[in-house]
Amino acid sequence: MPTMPATAGELQALQAALAAEHAAVYGYGVAGALLSGADQARALTDWQAHQEARDTLQAMIIKLGATPVAASAAYELPFPVRDAGSARRLAAALEDGVTQGYLGLVAVTNQTLRTFGALAMLPPAKRAVAWRGSTVAFPGMPSAR
Amino acid sequence: MLAASTTTLPLFLALSACAGPNPLAGPPPLSADVRALLRAVAAEQNLISLYNRTMAAYSALVPDLTPLLAEHRAHLAQLRARIIEPPGKSVPGKVTSKPAIPGTPAAALAQLRTAEQAASIAQLRRLAAASPSLAQLYASIAASEATHVTMLDVRSSR
Repeated sequence: MPTMPATAGELQALQAALAAEHAAVYGYGVAGALLSGADQARALTDWQAHQEARDTLQAMIIKLGATPVAASAAYELPFPVRDAGSARRLAAALEDGVTQGYLGLVAVTNQTLRTFGALAMLPPAKRAVAWRGSTVAFPGMPSAR
Repeated sequence: MLAASTTTLPLFLALSACAGPNPLAGPPPLSADVRALLRAVAAEQNLISLYNRTMAAYSALVPDLTPLLAEHRAHLAQLRARIIEPPGKSVPGKVTSKPAIPGTPAAALAQLRTAEQAASIAQLRRLAAASPSLAQLYASIAASEATHVTMLDVRSSR
């Protein structure tokens, strides 16, 4: 886990990544309830990965002397999620959001945080592909896809 | 959240003598970030060449490889868009690495996988010297190439 003095911008980027992880943890709860079999097992594994990532970010923020942003009680889903198909699309969208959250960390000048952000993008980018079944040219950059 | 833009702050490529304090001193040396960008462009060109030659050798792989090739072309376009080419000059478009295509589709896929993995790692190594905007582009391309490894693994397991 990186340790370093942080600027306001770096903290803001960490908080944004944490907010994305909070949203993913919530969203997988919704998606997992509509999935079954191997998909549900995968959703559970991914949900646990996001919980671990959330805990890591929270610890980093606390170590920097700040208060981690809290999870919301509920989140507005990007589209209606009523069946397995839409649950899989939601999982992909959640992973896209997390990838985008970590990409924000790559823009900071602190090299440790920048590298952390870039490496942290890889698992959600791969999970998004697993849920979507296809790749995108620019993970984390919605405007460039 | 910090903006993730692929279009801001293009880098100047000093390919010709430019107006400066001493026009007779020749072109200024390329900065570290421009040199890294040129290496990234060359790496994408090499990957595109490898995909093209693999697909030419094994037509059965074309459906699976075409989307990945298209994404590399998009990477190359975004990287080249960061370079301002002086009139009459252009970024070198030469392929600098041309390994032989292996004798079986499985081995060809393995070669692509190795190339994608290496390309992804190389993008991450470019982060340190890059501007924030360019660092985001490198990181996104690195993630894309990592997902290509996953897709090639899926194809290989069929």
